[in-house]
Amino acid sequence: MFGGMPRGTDEVSEPMYYVLTALLDGPLHGHAIMKVVGELSGGRVKPSVGTLYGILERLGDRGLITVDREETVNGRVRRYFRVLESGRTVLEAEARRMQQAASLVINRTSYA
Amino acid sequence: MTPLERRYRWLLFAYPPGYRAAHGQELLGVLLDCAAPGRTTPEVREAVGLVTGGLRERVRQAARGDAWRDGLHLGVTVVMTAQLAVLLPYAGSIPGWVALSALALLAVLRGRVRLALPLVSLTGAKAMAVATAWQPVDVTLLPVYPGFLTAEPLFAASAPVTVALGYGFVCCGLLALAAGSGPPRTRSWRWAAAVPFAAWTGPGWMPEGTPLPLSLSRTVLELAVLCLAVWAARTARDLRWALAAVVYLLAVSVQLGEHLAELTRQHLAYWGLLVFLTALTALVPYGHRRRVPD
Repeated sequence: MFGGMPRGTDEVSEPMYYVLTALLDGPLHGHAIMKVVGELSGGRVKPSVGTLYGILERLGDRGLITVDREETVNGRVRRYFRVLESGRTVLEAEARRMQQAASLVINRTSYA
Repeated sequence: MTPLERRYRWLLFAYPPGYRAAHGQELLGVLLDCAAPGRTTPEVREAVGLVTGGLRERVRQAARGDAWRDGLHLGVTVVMTAQLAVLLPYAGSIPGWVALSALALLAVLRGRVRLALPLVSLTGAKAMAVATAWQPVDVTLLPVYPGFLTAEPLFAASAPVTVALGYGFVCCGLLALAAGSGPPRTRSWRWAAAVPFAAWTGPGWMPEGTPLPLSLSRTVLELAVLCLAVWAARTARDLRWALAAVVYLLAVSVQLGEHLAELTRQHLAYWGLLVFLTALTALVPYGHRRRVPD
């Protein structure tokens, strides 16, 4: 699933894209991110917990997200993640790239 | 504790201890929140995700710091593991020297390269004394016969120059590491567990009388470790594993090169596989990349 994981702060995979998108409306904890990613992708992208936290660590390493705060629920610490400005920039650039790519097909179809 | 929680706790052992201590409870909470009511066994998808996630986290943590220095340290560690494996079957005849070699490996595993340097030099000097049969001090009855794991006398298939080059490589590597700033990282004790597998020359699979018979257990171990190195290099997109693989390949190539005229097809296939996997560790960090336009 993540065999083509891109590298660097200016690259983003599909699950990363959805995770960053999920965080646009405000800080979320791991379980909430999983639910929002599932909803946004229509159930198509469903990372396992291990995969999700791997993505969160890598996004943190690249300076795209950060831990906003920690809360303790039922004796377990929960981290809330927040998207940083650099994360928004990367996400918007990826969205523009996909929009341009999609328009190549959609514009052609509309003439047919 | 429910059976499901207990099983998830076991799977979390795939993560490094530090990460598990810091975030294990958090992951466990999410895993249990996501589980269907009444479920007692982890979903296959979650189990695979935890194991691969844990291994990836180990690689992510291993890829920190100076890649060249760390790669050199890893390469020296692997060569020293192989050198201890060469001596181990002779522990009954030369126990002190085998212990010294083990101490040297222990020192390198703990990042104590300045302590390891004299230990390796002494072990190397003794190895040279046995290989050349010139023993001005500490005379050992030659040839040195093994007690277990192999049938050949010590250095029966190695010229003195090959032995000298092997220990020389390690000493140069340790000198380079000692000259740098700060000690290298500590490494896993699991490297010591590899020694018996590398020392065992069985199971026999090459015709009797073949010069430099290849150990099947050691070959399988080498290929497995190199495959892991390729995966780690791909995951972290880092060259430290390539550098370590090159250091080890050089040490093995010196041994094979000594018997160049006598090598069989199996030897060449083995050598080729080592070269191929080493090259992969250097190439995979530069694999597919997709850039997002500005």
